[in-house]
Amino acid sequence: MSNSVNISVETTCEKKIREIGYDGTELYQPAPTLSESLAKCAARIDFSKTSLDDLKKEEKTAAAAEEENKDGTQFQESLWPWDAVRNKLKDALTEICVLSDVISIAKDKRYLVLDPLLEEGDDTKPIVQVYSRKKAISQAAQVLLSGAERLRNAHSEQRSRNVSDFHIELLRLRQNWRLKKVSNAIIGDLSYRTAGSKFGMSGTFEVTKAEEASDDDSAISSTTSSSTATNNGMQMKASSALRVIVPAELQGVAYIKVITQKDQEDLCTAQVNLMGHGPNITAQVGVWQKTLEFAQNVLFCKELFAQLAREAIQLQAPIPHVVIGNQIRATLLPNIQLIISLCHSTTFDSNQPAPINDHDHVLEHSLHQLLREVHYKNSHHPFPHPASAPLGPSKKRMLAGPMAADRETLLDMTKTQTILEQIIAQAQHIFMRKRTQYVLDTLARDVKDPQIVSHWNAMNSPTMSCVKINIVTHGYDAIGRTSLVIHVKERSLKCICRDGRVMRLSYEPQELRDLILCQINSHQISCLVSLARCMAWTVLSNSNHLGIGKVEPLGNASSCLLASPNGDRMIAVQIRCDPQIDVKVYIARSPRQDFFPSPLVPEKLWENLGGNFKEVKFDKIEGKSFLNKMEFLMASLTSNTA
Amino acid sequence: MGVTVLQPYPMPENKSGAHIIDYLSKRLLSLGATHAGQFLVDCETFISSPQPHNGTPGRAVHVLHNSEYPASTFSIMDSGTGKQVSLVADSIFDLLMLKMTNTFTSKKQTKIESRGARFEYGDFVIKLGSVTMMEHFKGILIEIEYKSCMILAYCWEMIREMLQGFLNINVGKDFPSYFAPQTIMTPMGQQQMHAKHNDMYEPTDTVKQYLEQFTNYRKHVSMHGGLGGQQQQPVHMSPSPVMGAAGGLGMIRP
Repeated sequence: MSNSVNISVETTCEKKIREIGYDGTELYQPAPTLSESLAKCAARIDFSKTSLDDLKKEEKTAAAAEEENKDGTQFQESLWPWDAVRNKLKDALTEICVLSDVISIAKDKRYLVLDPLLEEGDDTKPIVQVYSRKKAISQAAQVLLSGAERLRNAHSEQRSRNVSDFHIELLRLRQNWRLKKVSNAIIGDLSYRTAGSKFGMSGTFEVTKAEEASDDDSAISSTTSSSTATNNGMQMKASSALRVIVPAELQGVAYIKVITQKDQEDLCTAQVNLMGHGPNITAQVGVWQKTLEFAQNVLFCKELFAQLAREAIQLQAPIPHVVIGNQIRATLLPNIQLIISLCHSTTFDSNQPAPINDHDHVLEHSLHQLLREVHYKNSHHPFPHPASAPLGPSKKRMLAGPMAADRETLLDMTKTQTILEQIIAQAQHIFMRKRTQYVLDTLARDVKDPQIVSHWNAMNSPTMSCVKINIVTHGYDAIGRTSLVIHVKERSLKCICRDGRVMRLSYEPQELRDLILCQINSHQISCLVSLARCMAWTVLSNSNHLGIGKVEPLGNASSCLLASPNGDRMIAVQIRCDPQIDVKVYIARSPRQDFFPSPLVPEKLWENLGGNFKEVKFDKIEGKSFLNKMEFLMASLTSNTA
Repeated sequence: MGVTVLQPYPMPENKSGAHIIDYLSKRLLSLGATHAGQFLVDCETFISSPQPHNGTPGRAVHVLHNSEYPASTFSIMDSGTGKQVSLVADSIFDLLMLKMTNTFTSKKQTKIESRGARFEYGDFVIKLGSVTMMEHFKGILIEIEYKSCMILAYCWEMIREMLQGFLNINVGKDFPSYFAPQTIMTPMGQQQMHAKHNDMYEPTDTVKQYLEQFTNYRKHVSMHGGLGGQQQQPVHMSPSPVMGAAGGLGMIRP
C-alpha cells in the first residue's frame, strides 16, 4: 500500500494587516469575498469606452473628474459598488430599446423608410478634381511663363547691346589664361612659370570692369582698382567689357633683334635704348587678348635678354662680349659682329617704320627656341624616373654607372653650352655657309672650262652643312670627274677628296678658292690621262707636283707626257694655277728634223732620239674646252704611217 | 679605355714601399710621363651571415670601386664552388649593400685598397699603387693601360716591353695568369679551351684582376701568419680561373 502524501497548497498573497494589538496580535484584513471581488471588477468596466465619438472627450473629463473625485468615489464605492454599473447598463438598455423601436418602425415602412444613399456625390468629384488640377497647372504655367519672360528679356537685351557682358568676357579670358580670385580682386598670371621658367619678374595682371564713363583713369593703381573690383559681385544690367591691367614694366611691345654686322667697330654709334617707364597705362591694344599676349611676349623677351646678358658677362671669350644697355655685341669672326638687342617700345604705334637693318629672323627664332628648350628641360626630367635615385640626369648619365663609363666620357657629359654660345655658333655657321656659297658661285661663274657643280644637302644641322662638288668637263663626263665633299662647320671647313685625303681649312675664303683651283688642276691632268687612253696614246708619265719654275703660292705645276700610238709624236702638257689656270702644251716629233751628223755623233740613227719640244699656241687651237682641244691635237698628230 | 694589365712588383727586402714608389715615379717622370692625379681601387668583402653547417664556406660578395670609373661600383660574387658572377652597377649599389646586413656581414678587417699616383705617357696610363690592408702595407701593384687597343693578344708584346723598360724587372713571355687559356663549358656541354687574351677587354676584367691580386695578398698574409692579428680568411675565392663543373677544383686551404 502506498501511503499518499499530503500536499498543501497555499497562496502566496498574505492578508493585509489592519491593526496590530498592544500585545502583538495582528489583525488581518479579511480577504474579499467573491461578491466583493466581483463588484470591484465590475466597477472597473468603463462603459464610455464603447462609443468612439465621446471617447476622447469623456476620457479627458473622466480623467479630470477622476482626479478630483478620487477620494469621493472611493468613499462611495463601499456604499454602492453597483451603482455606476447599474446606471451604465440602464443607459445601454435605453439605447438598445430605441434602436429596436427604430428598426421595427423602419420595417413597417409606413412612417420611416430606409433608403440607400445616392451616388451623386461621386459625380461631382471628377469635376472638382479637374478644376483643382486646372488651377494647379495654371499656377505652374504662371511660374514658368514668368521665368521665360525674364530670360527672353535678358536675351533680347543682350542682342540689342553692342557691348558684351562682363561675365562672358571673363569666361573667355578664363579659357585662355590662368585666373585666380584673391579676396575681392581677380589676379591672373601670364608668366612662363608653369612651363619651366625660373625668371624672377612676376607676370601678374589684374582683371577689372572697364568704366564706361571715364576713359583716362590713368591714376588707377592696384589698390584703387580693388574698389572697382567690388562691383564684380553685383549683377549689373548695364554691363561693360573687362579691362586688364598689366604691370608697368610689361606694357608695350618688345622684340629681340639680331643683326650680323661687318666692319663696324665704332662703339660710340651704338644706340642705347634706356628702358624707362613710359606712361602708366597705354591705350588698350585692341582687345584684352592682344594686350596680354604682348605683355607675355615682353616678359619672354626680357627673360631671354637677361639670360643672354648674364652669360655674356660670365663667359670668357677670346674677344670679350660687350653688353651696353639693351645691346649685346659678340664677335663671330674677325670684323664680323653679332648684335642682339632688346627693342621695347611702350607707345604702341601701328605706323612704326620698318627697322633700317633687316634683322635675321632665323636667329631670332632660334633664340626663342633655345630659351623654350631651357624651360622644357627645367620641367621635364628624362625617363626613367627612379624612386631611389636623383631625378634630373640624362639617360646617358643614368647608364654611365652600369656601363662603367670612364672619366673622359663623364667629363664630356658635363659640358653644356649656354644659349649665347649656341647662338654664336649658329651665327658663325650661317656666315661660313654664306661665304662658302659665295666662293663656290663666283668660281663656277669665272671658271668655264671644267664646270663646277655644287650640290648642297637639303638636311643640315644648325651648326653644320655639307656640300658635294663635282668638277666635270662638258662632253667628257664619262672620261672623268673629280668630286669632293666639304663639311661647313662653325669656324672651319673640312674637305674630303675622293682619294681619301682630308684637309681642314680655316674661315678665310681664299683657302677654299685655292683648294678648288688645285682640284681643277689635277682634274684636267687626270682627265687628259683617261682621254689619252681612249685615243690610244701612251701616257709616258704624269705628275701632280713638278717642282719646277719659280715658287708659287698655290703649289706647283702638274704635268703629263704623252706619246702617239706609233711613237713619232710626243705631247707635253703643263698646267699651273698661278692666279688663273695656265696651260702650256709642247709637242715634239721623233725623227729630228734638225739632225746633222757631227764628228761627235756621226750615225744617222741618232735622229730618232727625239726632237726639241716646241710650244703650241694653245688658245688658237679649235676646241671648246681644254680636253676638246687636246683631243683635236692628239687626233691631228696621230698619223697612219707606221 | 683599353687593355689593362696588373703587374705586382717584387719587393726587395731592405727597401720600404715609399722608397720604391719614389724610385719608380722618378724613372717614369724622366722617361717623359706626366703626373695626372691620383687613383684608388678598393675592395670590401661581405660574407653571407648564416654560415652553412656542412663545412662549405658561405658565399662572399666583393664590392670594388675604381676611381677610373667613378660612376660605377663593381661587385663579384663568389659562391663556394669557385664560380664568380660579376656585376657593374651605379654607385647607389653601396647603399643597397648597407641594407643587406642581415644576410651579409662585412668583414672590416679585410678591406684592402691600392692607392697611388697616376701617370700618362702617350697612349699609356701607368699607375703605381701601394696596396694596404687596414693601414698595413702589403706590396706594390703596377697597373698599365694601353688606351688604343682592346684585345690583349695584339698589344701584349708592347706592354711587356714597356713594363720591362721602366720597371727593370723580368716580365714573363706568357700572358698574365688572368688571361691564360681556360677550360670552359660550352653551351653544348663540351669542354673547350677558351683563350681570354683574344676577347674584347672590358672594365670588369680590370676589376677582376685586382680582386685576384688582392686575394693573393690576403692569402700571402694569412700563409705567413699575418701582421696585426688578422683572422684567417675562408679561402673559397680561388684565384685560379673559372673551371667547369666537371673539373671542380678543391678548396685551397692554407
